[in-house]
Amino acid sequence: MIAKIKISKSEKIILIFLIILGVFTFTSLIILKNKCLFVKNYNPNDIKFDNPENVVILNAECGNVIIELYPNISPNAVKRFKKLIKLGAYNDAAFHRVIENKLIQAGDLEFGKRENLNYGKVGTGKSGLGTIKSELDGKFKYYKGSVGLARTFELNTEDSQFFIILQNEPLFEGEYTPVGKILYGFEVLKTIKFIPKFPIVPRPDFINSFKMLN
Amino acid sequence: MILFRTILLFFIVITPLKADTIYNLIKIPNLEIYNINTKNELRYLYATKPFRLGFNVKKNINCYNSDKKILDEKYKIIKKNLDRYSLNFLKIIGLKYVVLCENLSITGINTAGIPNNKTRTLILDIKFNENHFERAIHHELFHIINDNYKELFDKNIWKNFNKKNFKYSKCSTCNNNWNLDLLDEGGFFTEYAKSTASEDMAEVFSHLIFYKNKVYSNDPIIEKKILFIKKNVLKIDNTFKF
Repeated sequence: MIAKIKISKSEKIILIFLIILGVFTFTSLIILKNKCLFVKNYNPNDIKFDNPENVVILNAECGNVIIELYPNISPNAVKRFKKLIKLGAYNDAAFHRVIENKLIQAGDLEFGKRENLNYGKVGTGKSGLGTIKSELDGKFKYYKGSVGLARTFELNTEDSQFFIILQNEPLFEGEYTPVGKILYGFEVLKTIKFIPKFPIVPRPDFINSFKMLN
Repeated sequence: MILFRTILLFFIVITPLKADTIYNLIKIPNLEIYNINTKNELRYLYATKPFRLGFNVKKNINCYNSDKKILDEKYKIIKKNLDRYSLNFLKIIGLKYVVLCENLSITGINTAGIPNNKTRTLILDIKFNENHFERAIHHELFHIINDNYKELFDKNIWKNFNKKNFKYSKCSTCNNNWNLDLLDEGGFFTEYAKSTASEDMAEVFSHLIFYKNKVYSNDPIIEKKILFIKKNVLKIDNTFKF
């Protein structure tokens, strides 16, 4: 007959410690490391849109960002934006400038693509299509989730780079050409990589694809 | 070589991040919004801390933050004066931001205001000479107009309005012509107007705007200058009312 051995107090402590360690390891490796775990991915095919011809889908690591474009407010800017989207120009473009809870910028087609990312020049690249004039007369409130075309310090220098704001920015009104607003998937943007106090993100996240709905 | 590249990349990438929206727009640090909900869409900003900057030369402009009470008091006066300009007119001349601060100076010389047509900004010293404070607002605004429409406000045409033997100074601060009191003789509204053609134009404009019909002179030179300013401002915006 085998005598039943009673577990000692110190063994109990070690066992609890190992369980906690296991839980911690699991959490760190699976849950915390997976930044997309709690991000809802919207399928545009499941949603009915009022203006499907002006809906575009930006796909990032954690899912889709569904944006409605406003050609009535900025006809030329939206025309340029759609053209680049239809050409697939934004695919593999870096989210090169990300300011926590404030702004995400992407669309440098010259120095910000996955295959030829140039940290020294990213943000200064061009599309090759030339610049377009700023469209600032339309009444557009830059609320959280608004999308606008980036420019240099000078007006009328908009090209391919665009930004999405993560908070309301009343001072942007009349300063930057608006192109649209996010309808779904704002949470996806919150997962885009940023480094506090760094203007340019080293090893940034990329746009997987950027397509028209139709 | 790898180490060198790494160090180089470190310095390229690590530059201080200016997440400040106002700084990104007009390149002036330490500002906050005072009021941006105005009828003519002027955006009033104020200094929360002293700032230094340089538009053309290196960091030669200084201005300081002000007491809230003075700021509130002067804002009302400034707004009342700038409300005279319509949204359309301000768009045409390119003025959008008004920065309120005190003890504004450029290369150590105190000034009422500093216009920057590139950033569409007018920095105003809210503690500038009490006697001429309101008129100086219009004076500084004229510099924005002048900078953006140099071809209309031709200095050579203007100089010909003066007496033949008169010559302006080489710069606005060269001859210590600081006096802004009404002179109304020899073709000039003030002593300061004698400094340069553009300061003279700004003095005529500011007298026209601030005193309206009360200050008209019998001086034939001033009459010509008034006509010139009126004619050219109306070329910019034919709905403008003096």
